[in-house]
Amino acid sequence: MTVDVLSSIKGAKPSEAVNKLFEAIKNAQSTNNNSSNNVNNNFVCLNDLREDVVNESSAIEKKIIIENFPKEKNGYLVVSKVIED
Amino acid sequence: MDSQIKKIHQQLVSKQISCTALIQEKLALLKENTHNTVNSLLESSALELAVKVDEKLANNEEIGLLEGIPFGIKDVYMVQGTYTTASSDLLKKYKSAYTATAIQKLLDAGAIPLVKENCDSFGHGSSSENTIFGAVKNAINPELVAGGSSGGSAVNVAKDYTVFSIGGDTGGSIRQPAGYNKIYGLKPTYGRISRYGLMAYTSSTDCVGPLAKSIEDIRIVLNVLSGKDKKDQTTFTSTNISEEEVLNNDNVKTVGYFKNFVESDVISAEIKTEFLNTIEKIKAKGIEVKELDFFKPDTLVSTYYTLAMAETASNLSRLDGTNYGNRIEGKNLKETYSITRSENFSEESKRRIVGGNQVLSQGFSDEIYLKGLALRDQISENFNKDFEEVDIILSPVTPNTPPKIGESLKDPLAMYLSDAYTVGFSLGQLPTLTIPQGTATGLQITAAKNNEQSILQFANFLKETI
Repeated sequence: MTVDVLSSIKGAKPSEAVNKLFEAIKNAQSTNNNSSNNVNNNFVCLNDLREDVVNESSAIEKKIIIENFPKEKNGYLVVSKVIED
Repeated sequence: MDSQIKKIHQQLVSKQISCTALIQEKLALLKENTHNTVNSLLESSALELAVKVDEKLANNEEIGLLEGIPFGIKDVYMVQGTYTTASSDLLKKYKSAYTATAIQKLLDAGAIPLVKENCDSFGHGSSSENTIFGAVKNAINPELVAGGSSGGSAVNVAKDYTVFSIGGDTGGSIRQPAGYNKIYGLKPTYGRISRYGLMAYTSSTDCVGPLAKSIEDIRIVLNVLSGKDKKDQTTFTSTNISEEEVLNNDNVKTVGYFKNFVESDVISAEIKTEFLNTIEKIKAKGIEVKELDFFKPDTLVSTYYTLAMAETASNLSRLDGTNYGNRIEGKNLKETYSITRSENFSEESKRRIVGGNQVLSQGFSDEIYLKGLALRDQISENFNKDFEEVDIILSPVTPNTPPKIGESLKDPLAMYLSDAYTVGFSLGQLPTLTIPQGTATGLQITAAKNNEQSILQFANFLKETI
């Protein structure tokens, strides 16, 4: 798939400046090419998980979400027509 | 400079000024300002909050230290009912439905938000020129850039339009504009402050942090912002830092600096000389200084941008104009997505999204993205070893002084490389403070994770030493 399709950006092409960064990383010396993903240790502790509950949004929150709809009809969001490939 | 927060608090308590007059004065300054720092003013809500503070004072009720203190917010934070544009066309009419945890904590403490501040669109930039609201002009010389991406926040603090501002730092976006505008700016340890309600750029390095004119104000705001939040499960519990601890300067015995940062071709002669002079002054105070080995600046920048672009491509894929944003209709759903995104994202944001999708695609991910992750591990391990040898790492904030407005956008690669000294600490998720001393664009003080206290102590020591 080309980057314009992957990015959902019409006519998008890879940039020269960004490609230079990628060349630098390809040429960088690395002692190991496999990430052990141990850098961040931002793991969530299993006995400290957030409660699995549904929280009702406040009335003001719902009102603003509707205000943000790009297109609205009778309080419902209007989406673009979907055409299956 | 001494704490502005404490000074204003004292003036409010002693009734030298009213909160309403204070807020009116700051709003007037923001309105008149020609530095393009303002995306939207929160005038009516700020004045309503000020009236409440004045009522408490009139009734001789006690007020908290932050109560009535005016502050600014980079326009990437959700504040319920306010426009939150990320300085982009796509979200120029978007209103936050909820409030970010960090901002809510400040509201709960009584601080008064005045302004949503100009910045690079979605944090994509190092100059605050990538914005639909006009390039932010440097506080000291308006022909120069303010730095970025939290440029509006840094200028507002430097010009005293806000007492402090809340920026966001992904690869240097608080520290670099703080340096360019000669103020303090802290990127805390990743996870110390909740990211809930901050528009995601690079989720693995995004940090919330304060910009202010004194070490004490950074400490006060950091204490309020810090803490575990169930809405951001990468957060951790931290302890408050007391003023007494910060004033104790005896803890730092050994300081390190990266030899290759000062020997690099990219650093200007001026910043190199100033930095090395600072090192000599520190040695003269009896502190041991060690030269440390580190990764080449181009490796750091490439590693950071590879991971940042991959994450921003994923994070911004939700912005397709379906549920919110400036939708532009096409003949079907896919075309609607692509027109909406093509027309509404800036050239710099598109460059980063496309770059991210490149490195995540088959054939590229192994040699670029996965290698980037492996390099990040090594960078982090390098830091772990360094902090077994030294208490603090000192570095310049930027290799050069701020460029003229218009120059950065012409050469994106040069802009990426200008982040060489800030991105490494982001990849290591380390706390780093910019101080307005030591070089023309300041110094960065870095400590091991969750060791903000040592950073503030050393900043205090340097304030008196250099």
